[in-house]
Amino acid sequence: MSRTANGPIGLMLAPAVGLIGVFIVIPMALTVWLSFHDWSTQTGFATARFVGLRNYHDIFGPISVGRDFKRAFSNTALYTALSVAIILPLSVLLGLLVYQRRVAGGNVLRTILFSTYMVPMIAVALVWSKLYSPNEGPINQMLGWIGFSPQPWLSSPDTALLSIVFLNVWQQVGYFTVLVIAGLTQIPTALYEAARIDGANRMQEFFGITLPLLKRTLLFSAVIAVINAVQVFEPVALITQGGPAGSTNVLTYHIRRVGIERAQGGLGSAMAVMLMLALIVVIVVLFAFARRRDEE
Amino acid sequence: MNPRTVSPPRRPRIRVDAASAGLRLAIVIAAVVAAFPLVWMVLSSFKTPAESMQVPPVWLPGTPTLDAYGEVADVINAGRSFWNSAVIATVTTAGILITSLMAGYAFAKYRFRGRDALFALLIATMFLPPIVTLIPLYRLVTAIGLNASLFGVIVPHLANAFGIFLMRQFIAGVPDDLIDAARVDGASELRIVFSVVAPSVVPALAALTLFAFVYHWNTYLWPLTVLQGNSDDYPIVISLSRLLSYNRGAMNTHLVMAGATLAVLPPLVMFVLLQRFFVDSIVSSGVKG
Repeated sequence: MSRTANGPIGLMLAPAVGLIGVFIVIPMALTVWLSFHDWSTQTGFATARFVGLRNYHDIFGPISVGRDFKRAFSNTALYTALSVAIILPLSVLLGLLVYQRRVAGGNVLRTILFSTYMVPMIAVALVWSKLYSPNEGPINQMLGWIGFSPQPWLSSPDTALLSIVFLNVWQQVGYFTVLVIAGLTQIPTALYEAARIDGANRMQEFFGITLPLLKRTLLFSAVIAVINAVQVFEPVALITQGGPAGSTNVLTYHIRRVGIERAQGGLGSAMAVMLMLALIVVIVVLFAFARRRDEE
Repeated sequence: MNPRTVSPPRRPRIRVDAASAGLRLAIVIAAVVAAFPLVWMVLSSFKTPAESMQVPPVWLPGTPTLDAYGEVADVINAGRSFWNSAVIATVTTAGILITSLMAGYAFAKYRFRGRDALFALLIATMFLPPIVTLIPLYRLVTAIGLNASLFGVIVPHLANAFGIFLMRQFIAGVPDDLIDAARVDGASELRIVFSVVAPSVVPALAALTLFAFVYHWNTYLWPLTVLQGNSDDYPIVISLSRLLSYNRGAMNTHLVMAGATLAVLPPLVMFVLLQRFFVDSIVSSGVKG
């Protein structure tokens, strides 16, 4: 801490705090406020009419508003769970491949993995929509070479969401791999030397040292992966429009459709609040889970 | 030597070789799988329309041609879109660098009431998915007359919590003596931020430049929402999305791939130039927390 206890605090903070306040904090508060109101996004905030909990009642209700929201919510939950469940173990595996010093090529792999994270999601969606193409796409062609039947990918309700999970994993895993590498560099090599002296094998080393000491990294990764996953938008907006049969209608797409395109600002805001609450619950559970494992 | 480290002489040698071969294979497979979509993208952009629709797909263009790139420029006004993306990404990044330096300096070097609470509130906004604030933000930006313009795309993102966090982490490591010496010389605080502190945190600024530039070059949801169909101001990512429906979705693969290749280039070039700082900043600020 500086011994110069202060300075023109207001001047230094005003630009950042002002912008974040006006364009993030106030809109967040407005989202909560609007969720209790009947309001058209096409009109000023002053026209909002208080309706209590009716929007919440509607989005969990039995009519189409509720059915669509609940479907979007469960699609997003499934999408998020699948993404995290694939990304985390894969990032550890790839992180170990990059970090090991026995054979060369780790840094090249890291550069390739990370460069996919630089690709705009819209380009990822475009390219993968062609890769997945049932007839002209190379993925089904390669599956054929190893004896699998062609898959419908994005065009079947059974496989569309999973197809989007795969392209998302491809785009994102490099970032999480770098996080894992950062975590690996923090593990003292003395621990491995000690374990080797005690005759531990590779497996014992991994489960006894590497994984426990990566826990903080993996907790951070899980939180970021969840927050990234609920933002999936481009592949849905561009390729599937929520279909087929509502199977890829995810919350970011659905909330925008309701709140912006249909201008049902109150309903959309209630959905956004539910997404926020769900995220808070998931993050709290992740932290609690990590702490419980600490105590064991 | 510790007797327990001595193991039978022959077995480890064979094991090591097998393990090395396995590792090498795993690295090659991972690299090929990761690179494949981008390689396919570039290869397909050189194909003729007929070639790109062939069943089964051909991997290498028989007669490589740049026609698709010329055609893309006609279909989506690529030059204008590129310019818009460059303006959005550059101006937003410059704004983020300035606001983050100033706020990061205040949080790292000043002591004031409510500092930690304010910092925590700012950090919390980092974890907010944009969709949660999209609806009122859209209305707000419309109300102040910035909608359907590049200003509307840029202004709400001129500051962000991640930048402040990153700058605070790095500025905390700048020696107080350096700052005090500048004060003794009569430098104003603003001058200190930009001509004493900033040169001491160049790697962090480089990392933030990459993060911000790539994010705002790539971002889709907000421009799509705020531009309201004002196609003159579309960034390349939005113009690109219109390629998929071009020619009613038929015979357009070569165009889609050429467009995607063009859009990917600026963030990739940025990455190649700055990747050293990018990885360093994640290592030193991302998880140590």
